[in-house]
Amino acid sequence: MERALDDDAQRPLGPRATFDRALDRVKDDVLRLGALVEEALERAGRALTGRDPDLADKVRWEDRQVNDLQRDINTEITTLIATQAPVARDIRELLALYHASAELERMGDYAVNIAKLSQQLASEPEIPILGQIPQMERICREQLHAAMRALVDMSEDGARAVCARDDEIDHLYNSVYEDALAMMAAKPERARQATHMLFAAHHLERLGDRVTNIGEDVVYLATGQVEDLNP
Amino acid sequence: MTESGDPMAVKIRPGAADDPEQKGPPAPTMDNVSTTDEAEQIAPAATLSGAPMTFADDEVVFELDDLSCYYGDFRAVRDISLQVPKNKITALIGPSGCGKSTLLRSFNRMNDLVDTAHITGSIRYHGVDLYGDGVDPVEVRRRIGMVFQKPNPFPKSIYDNVAFGPRIAGHRGDMDELVEQSLRRAAIWDEVKDKLKSPGTALSGGQQQRLCIARAIAVEPDVILMDEPCSALDPIATLKIEELMRELRQNYTIVIVTHNMQQAARASDYTAFLTMGDDRAGYLVEMAPTEELFTRPANRVTEDYITGRFG
Repeated sequence: MERALDDDAQRPLGPRATFDRALDRVKDDVLRLGALVEEALERAGRALTGRDPDLADKVRWEDRQVNDLQRDINTEITTLIATQAPVARDIRELLALYHASAELERMGDYAVNIAKLSQQLASEPEIPILGQIPQMERICREQLHAAMRALVDMSEDGARAVCARDDEIDHLYNSVYEDALAMMAAKPERARQATHMLFAAHHLERLGDRVTNIGEDVVYLATGQVEDLNP
Repeated sequence: MTESGDPMAVKIRPGAADDPEQKGPPAPTMDNVSTTDEAEQIAPAATLSGAPMTFADDEVVFELDDLSCYYGDFRAVRDISLQVPKNKITALIGPSGCGKSTLLRSFNRMNDLVDTAHITGSIRYHGVDLYGDGVDPVEVRRRIGMVFQKPNPFPKSIYDNVAFGPRIAGHRGDMDELVEQSLRRAAIWDEVKDKLKSPGTALSGGQQQRLCIARAIAVEPDVILMDEPCSALDPIATLKIEELMRELRQNYTIVIVTHNMQQAARASDYTAFLTMGDDRAGYLVEMAPTEELFTRPANRVTEDYITGRFG
């Protein structure tokens, strides 16, 4: 608390000091939300590859934090819009943060879904996990991290790079799809596991798209132009 | 308004609008604005695409070309070029002292009343040089009415406030009808119809301002200039005036100066942002459709001002 006050004191007291401080708080919260989701995703991936139902439970349980924080962010932003009448870059930034937090909340749900799938897989006879899935999970986390970085730095270039990299995830997903079908054809008794893995890959693919949505928000924030960067 | 027999058009000599001979002293040199920062600041009025706002010829009510306004040697407004479109609300915003009111008053030659005031450059009104020889300022002000910051009804009855202008102008029609119609257009008829003989000054501030708008409308102007019309009003009265402006723009062209940026954002179609340079002269930073200027202004100076990070 003391430290926060010091930080405030160092900021020159501009005519919008109150608003700027509140905006910084919202940004911090969105960053924190991003970190929570990143952690959930990493754990869900580990629960899947390590057949660890307890870790999966942790992901499911802690999603409440993600939901609560997102609700708090919504309230903060709604209040700022209602009381501070932000315009231009300020309103764009608040709307981008609002949307990004909604996307993050949804990504948290995907992590939960993957955690649930890991529990189902763990209850089936063990088969090797398709190697593309942990790869997708890793890239998703890197992408999420880069998107949050671009959001904080308002880096248009960073955001565009995130959007461009989404193709890697899509390719891996297609490859999982093919492999899963082949597995079902070759060993029909593995159809359940193959389907679970296909769903896990699907959730990761959707998660990747949500990350590019944040990239689009950053481009909007930086330029004022709405662009579809994941056609 | 510009049909033949037009008292402004007939008095003007051919080519007067193109008269290269400027009034007042030559414009000072711009030696002091050569740095990059300053150069960026004096970028011409532009939309996001970088193009200045222009309108079809028959949509242009005012066309300012390199307009500078002086009080004696002091240049209050420099080199403004912009167009004001017909049947739209154009808001002028900017910090105190940036010349918004001076600019507004140049639109109906209100500053003629100040001895030392003069302009260089030109203002054309429907193509006619407003400051050309032979243009009658009284006729200019009949066509281009003004509503001021503080409601200023005459110390007369409500009825006489509205009838005053038409009587002077020699109105021959049914005065009762004109008064009623003006009061209706100013959205105040229902509140005053039973007390037309009571003094205008007895009304509330918001009602007085609408009475002043009715008075301005009564002489059938083409343009209504508003100089901070709501600054003395409470929020409800303010919103009523804004709604009224939206109605009025169907018949009139409105230019409003306001300190209240939310008012410009709510009520206007176009917004011109002025600020002042080191020479304290106000200049145009950008003019854009209001929704564009308040969501993604083209100029950083505009952004800093409208987000409250000015100064």
